Amino acid sequence: MDLNSIYFIAKKEVMDNVRNLWIIIITIIFATLTIIISALGSLFTDEWQSLGLTIAGMMGIVQLLVPIIALMLGYAAIVREIENGSMNMLISLPVKRHEIILGKFLGLGSVLSFTILVGFGIAGAIIGLMVPNVDYVQYFIFIGGTILFGLVYLNVALFFSTLFKKRSSALGGAIFLWFFFNMILPIILIGIAFAGAALKDIAQGIVPDWYYLVDLVNPMSVYSALITLNIGSISSAGSSMGAAPQIGYPEFYTSGLMILILFVWIAGFLSLSYWRFNKKDI
Amino acid sequence: MVEKTIKCPKCGFQKTISGNPGEKKKIVCPECKTEGVFTFPEIQQIKNIADEDAAITVTNLTKIYKDVRAVDNVYFTVKKGEVFGFLGPNGAGKTTTIKSILGLIHTNSGQITINGIDIKKNSKKAHKYIGYLPEKIAFYDNLTALQNMYFYAEMKNVPKSECKPLIVEMGLKEAANKKVGKFSKGMQQRLGMVQALLGNPAVLILDEPSGGLDPRGVALIRNKIKEAKSRGASVFVSSHILAEVQAVCDRVGIISKGTLVAEDTVEKLRDRLNLKPKLVMELEKISDEIISSINKLEGVEKVEVIGVMVHVTCNPKVKSKIILAVERDGGNILNIQTMEPTLEEVFMRFTEG
Repeated sequence: MDLNSIYFIAKKEVMDNVRNLWIIIITIIFATLTIIISALGSLFTDEWQSLGLTIAGMMGIVQLLVPIIALMLGYAAIVREIENGSMNMLISLPVKRHEIILGKFLGLGSVLSFTILVGFGIAGAIIGLMVPNVDYVQYFIFIGGTILFGLVYLNVALFFSTLFKKRSSALGGAIFLWFFFNMILPIILIGIAFAGAALKDIAQGIVPDWYYLVDLVNPMSVYSALITLNIGSISSAGSSMGAAPQIGYPEFYTSGLMILILFVWIAGFLSLSYWRFNKKDI
Repeated sequence: MVEKTIKCPKCGFQKTISGNPGEKKKIVCPECKTEGVFTFPEIQQIKNIADEDAAITVTNLTKIYKDVRAVDNVYFTVKKGEVFGFLGPNGAGKTTTIKSILGLIHTNSGQITINGIDIKKNSKKAHKYIGYLPEKIAFYDNLTALQNMYFYAEMKNVPKSECKPLIVEMGLKEAANKKVGKFSKGMQQRLGMVQALLGNPAVLILDEPSGGLDPRGVALIRNKIKEAKSRGASVFVSSHILAEVQAVCDRVGIISKGTLVAEDTVEKLRDRLNLKPKLVMELEKISDEIISSINKLEGVEKVEVIGVMVHVTCNPKVKSKIILAVERDGGNILNIQTMEPTLEEVFMRFTEG
């Protein structure tokens, strides 16, 4: 493996994407939404809502927005270069195909991480100025977890970009993926829960342990578990938001397991992308 | 499966075993129980692919798309230091062949070497020798010409300082700091040539290099090909524009419907087809009498009248007799010239039908 080639491709990928206006726009959207949520949460109190509570409010938005950004960044990464022809020159350079995939992942991953870090970072700093006793460690765990969550979707998108011959089909695939993870998969999982558990238990908010195990196939759930496990104040303080029921995770739900699952997603789809790209005729 | 009779190195017992080429087989001697491993030899290639003087060798290349044989059992060699023209009508398999040479596509069969290095076994090392100008050119639109070239220089491990002078030489001085997304087709083509020339590669592979270029651009590329040749590089140029190829190539290969139909020097191909030079005369007035008396001369193959011009395909030795015959019949020759058979004719003859 040639680290130089990977680095040069990653650097090129960053330069090419940072010049895109929408990356800047998304960063601003992140920051603005975070501040708005914090401000809205403080409507009935004298001061701004704390960071911990803001994180709880942000989770839903992150679960909608981060996959969109990751899919938008990644869906065309390979197919665009094949369709317009720049892949011809790229592959004829002294570079292996796995180095191209890794370079793309590192470059796009950096753009995504940077966007999340700066967007939430700015908001965090502003809220931090307004609220006393800020737990910055929690906030950094939130940002780190969100980056990991985004990288999962980036790799799924990267794989999709090696699947199709046309950029338009890859875009269709990316939109389908977003629907799948946001709508279809949760419905399937809830269906499984209702089929397997007693209705009165579910009505009381008691979910059997095996369901938690099944739910681990959904990166959305894994992400929210990771954040909830680490930022304990969410569930107890959630009442002020009028939402967030008490969650009783089973004992095997640990931060380590959640992080491991997210890494498995990333590594798995990275390998799939390489496998598919390596077989491809350019 | 192949059969091989082997001899035990200890007791000399002989036994015939069978296996696939390249296969390793464990053997125990039935006599003395000595254990050993025998490797079946690989099948010898039809051509010697490790040709020391070859820049590119293509052996038994076949590529099938769905059920179309885009390239069918193609063999050819590009010698070191020569300019090789690769000709064929559109859709004949030129780009497929080039993409196979570069390892961009997976072939159904075939062996390809660049400077003696097998492209399938060690593509990265082979690519270090190559400068490639694809037929379909695209760069990273959000980056400037210079930034794009810096990227290729980094990947090729070439000093970045090479980029600017080459960009200027290819006539893109004013555009060096402009985003490539705003470039015209011709400008992208010129920039593609800069990219191919970075690091003075030993083997230049140019796919339709004059596509989208104005005459000045075409001349620039032609000069670059000559320069590359003079520093000892080998150049592989694919084209369907024959004047291009004729002006720079030492040898040509002609591909038609996926099959290589000819590989030789332009002169030899011309001779092989028995193409004769033409005598072209401009006459003040053309009469049937003049035409018929030219036709009667020995060594004249064909007489064509195109406007005020008479084209006579003939053995070069009878040229003076033709002129005499025309004057004897009262024809007034205003202008006269000899036309050598063009590559176009060679090409048409090889690819027709």
